[in-house]
Amino acid sequence: MITTASEAVASPARRKRVTLRKTIVTCAVMAAALLLAIVLMSLLGSEQLPVRASLCALASFGTSTCGLTQDQFDILFQIRLPRILLAAAVGGSLATAGAGYQALLRNPLAEPYLLGISNGAAVGTMIALVFFGAMEWTRPILAFTGALAATLAVYRLARGRAGATPERLILAGVIVTTFLSSVIVFVTVLMDATRIRSFTFWLLGDLSGTSKALLPVAITIAIAGALALTLNARSLNLLMLGERDAFDLGVEVGRVRIVVFVVASLLVGSSVAASGSVGYVGLVIPHLARLSLGSDNRISIPAAALGGALFVIVADTVARTVIAPRELPVGAITALIGAPLFIYLLRRV
Amino acid sequence: MAARSDSATRFVFTVPDHFLRGFVWLAVACLALFSACTTRGTANNGAAREIRDDAGRRVSIPANVDRVVSLAPNLTEIVFAVGAGDRLVGRTSYCDFPPEAKAVAEVGDTLHPSLERIIALKPQVVLVSTASQLEVFTQQLQGQNIAVYVTDPHDLEGVFRSIGQIGEIVGEKDKAGLLVQKLRERTAAVEAAVKQKQPVRVFYQVSGEPLYTIGRESFITDLMRRAGGASVTADVPGAWPKYSNESALAARPEAIILPTGGSMGSANANVADALRQSPAALQGRVYKINDDHLARPGPRSVDGLEEMARALHPDAFPK
Repeated sequence: MITTASEAVASPARRKRVTLRKTIVTCAVMAAALLLAIVLMSLLGSEQLPVRASLCALASFGTSTCGLTQDQFDILFQIRLPRILLAAAVGGSLATAGAGYQALLRNPLAEPYLLGISNGAAVGTMIALVFFGAMEWTRPILAFTGALAATLAVYRLARGRAGATPERLILAGVIVTTFLSSVIVFVTVLMDATRIRSFTFWLLGDLSGTSKALLPVAITIAIAGALALTLNARSLNLLMLGERDAFDLGVEVGRVRIVVFVVASLLVGSSVAASGSVGYVGLVIPHLARLSLGSDNRISIPAAALGGALFVIVADTVARTVIAPRELPVGAITALIGAPLFIYLLRRV
Repeated sequence: MAARSDSATRFVFTVPDHFLRGFVWLAVACLALFSACTTRGTANNGAAREIRDDAGRRVSIPANVDRVVSLAPNLTEIVFAVGAGDRLVGRTSYCDFPPEAKAVAEVGDTLHPSLERIIALKPQVVLVSTASQLEVFTQQLQGQNIAVYVTDPHDLEGVFRSIGQIGEIVGEKDKAGLLVQKLRERTAAVEAAVKQKQPVRVFYQVSGEPLYTIGRESFITDLMRRAGGASVTADVPGAWPKYSNESALAARPEAIILPTGGSMGSANANVADALRQSPAALQGRVYKINDDHLARPGPRSVDGLEEMARALHPDAFPK
């Protein structure tokens, strides 16, 4: 991992062009796969839609019904497609955030869910729900605030005299996670009974409440966040050598740190506000990206973004079809797939 | 060496002394406790009756019950309706009806009642609804010699059974019988009024985001059938399933019932986004019904039945 990073550091101009080309090719292939997944997964659901007509309607971007009934058309474009797009935004956001934390903190286990950052965003969203229930726009803002506060708390706790060792960071994450979990339990107890059930479902990660207002916000933040971190990928590569070396090589360490913290908090905040805490995406996907494409962040960050989107789309399709017409929370599926996959990755490395 | 063996001997001799004294005290305490337990036990079991509850358990109920704790709002309503409100010594924070119930001591909410407070109230019977999921809790109460009676009605008949049995537990069998008879008459009147009507296909929205509805095991499914409706989710397993947005729309409900108001306040007052384009929403057949009349399987369930029938079949009921 480190060797590839130092190779990237020492790259001459020609290498840079090679990297750029590799990035573009990888992203193009993955984007094509993502598009294919969006189309294929829109054909699956608790209701059976005619395949041909659906494909035709999708190809026309919803301008033609292609013989679908009004209900079928609404199911495809009002319910299924927005949910799939939200799944893509959430997956992309979480995987990008995970890749960013892992590069910045030089810790392969750094992940929004494990570090308690998702829980910070969840507490923020809960506060927005309890105190400003009607004002939907407060949710992503407070979720972002919560995520940023949790990030800073974990970062402060992790920095000991000997610097932030990986173990210390994870322990700090565990402490923040458990503390915020108790805050969540405390708020749920105070909440009235009618809302508890929908809340527990949301906490586990649920995409069924796709809100028309939050969807464009989530997509915009996902794309902008992935771009922002990719643009800082070279600095992140250098940071993998250690903060001091990176500083000596001309990286503005403080600025990069602030950029990653703010961008990742925005990404986690918007996805938690939209769908609750979907776990393991930020852990497994960046790992897979690095394992298959090398640890150059210029490639692995955009690849993780696209891969995360792909992963959550598939996981959510399982969640909404496997016991149809009933549904499972998508977080349960990502954890079911993610935890064993992670153990496998750990044993392989 | 000598001193050591000396202290050792003393040690050997002092232990039985302490032990004996301790043992005597322990024995006295045990005896006191045991006699207390047995006296209470005999008082309770003197003419105890066995009643089978909705969880299929045989519950031993003391002959004269004058201290009852209710852990669900519908059970509190039943206790008051059978005229045993004066015997209710504990209730949950959700129990807000009838207004007199608010004077009764609170023991926490349905999900998190305080075991200590319940035991301190010295009830003979604690009434539980399975919604509260209190298995461990139940064992602890039984360990305190407090009977736990579980209700879990899956249809209106089950609600009537709950009323009858709670009446029997508190010694108000006749009043409960009379109440059930009246409720049955009102139910029969509703059923007769909608008998000739084509059942309306209804989606019952428990909550909109995420979408929850009623399933096979919910007593509301039965209530709706009696009110001249047909739940489009009547075959879905479970009592309160999380339901797919697209299946809800694809079911093309002719009417949507929104249980809201009452203790729900303004929650669940709007049709879920997914159902905005349903025939029910487009034709304005969205009916808000007081959640307290529908979600609480008790005497007011028949109010809910009447309201639901009037909403679904307005022409079947003279103004």
